[in-house]
Amino acid sequence: MGTYENSRRILEALKEAGVDLMASVPDINLKELIDLLYQDKEIVHVPVGREEEGIGVCTGAYLAGKRPAILMQNAGLMNSCNALTTTALQFGIPVLLLVYYAGDMGDNAFHMLGLLTEPVLSGLGIKYTVMRDPSRVKRDIATAVTSAEASKRPVALVLTRAVL
Amino acid sequence: MKRFECLQAIAPLMKDELFVTTAGGATSEWNAVRPSDGNLQVKTLGLCSSIGLGLAIALARRKVIVFDGDGALWMNMGSLATIGLHQPKNLIHICWDNQQYESSGGEPTVSTAEKIDFAGVAKAAGIHSSRCVSTMEDLKEAVSYALTHDGPHFIWVMIEAGRAQVPPLKYDELENKYRFIRYVEETEGVNILRIPIPHSYEVKKDRP
Repeated sequence: MGTYENSRRILEALKEAGVDLMASVPDINLKELIDLLYQDKEIVHVPVGREEEGIGVCTGAYLAGKRPAILMQNAGLMNSCNALTTTALQFGIPVLLLVYYAGDMGDNAFHMLGLLTEPVLSGLGIKYTVMRDPSRVKRDIATAVTSAEASKRPVALVLTRAVL
Repeated sequence: MKRFECLQAIAPLMKDELFVTTAGGATSEWNAVRPSDGNLQVKTLGLCSSIGLGLAIALARRKVIVFDGDGALWMNMGSLATIGLHQPKNLIHICWDNQQYESSGGEPTVSTAEKIDFAGVAKAAGIHSSRCVSTMEDLKEAVSYALTHDGPHFIWVMIEAGRAQVPPLKYDELENKYRFIRYVEETEGVNILRIPIPHSYEVKKDRP
């Protein structure tokens, strides 16, 4: 479980970076952030059933002028590999991927997901930052959004329990 | 009826709608019938409905039309539930059902055995304006209705298999994206291709 204080910090940093639409699929560690998204009036929240749909929604939203992000667990990153490859990467769509790091060091479940998350991001050619320091949240988010827009590619922020 | 004839029949009904078309005949034939920078091709099987949903949510006053196929819809049937959840009034989702994976060698889809009722699935998912058409007159009437009434709309069109002999798209997906964005910018009066703002770094303040 995360905290509302940390989740609020993430949400404010996303707004400051210009993110104005977010697709989401829940994870227990993202509960507070998703709760805040449901209440928020500024960011358009689009819950989806499967993460690959979310990549599609973010793509359409970007083409219409939004600055989109998707919030999901790393299992969802695996689910979205084809959409990331043949839509987001092939068309050059700057989607911010906010990925909860299940199976991170010290996690007692999903160790295979943890093992494969960073290699999969590298394999896809997706630049990423693993967020471990709450004091750097604002900077990590701002730099990721800048990189996504400049490269016109998806960029990932891997969220650990330390920042949630 | 063939898809190409259907596209020719509905093209005169269109104005400045945005189109998201699934890979294969739906893309090449539509671009031959109605070339426009407002046409976006999709390379990921099944993703056209989700991309259309994102466009429709972000541009709530613009009609967005998705051309799906039976194989593609089978791959992303969950998107019907998501569209039903979000109820985009401006989304028109058309599934051209030729009962085969036409671009993948004509193998059967879920529709081939004639057990699936896509229109029934869409209606049960909350897309109340959902119907099945199999004649040209019904198709034109259904599309006219969808263009003039709030949706979301789902139209399941029974067609014969077979692609028309039309040339493929003359540009790749990157050029398609840029053309599409410039078209949306021009017609909506918005700025989409923004130059990243250097001050978002705040390097001096945050660097440890």
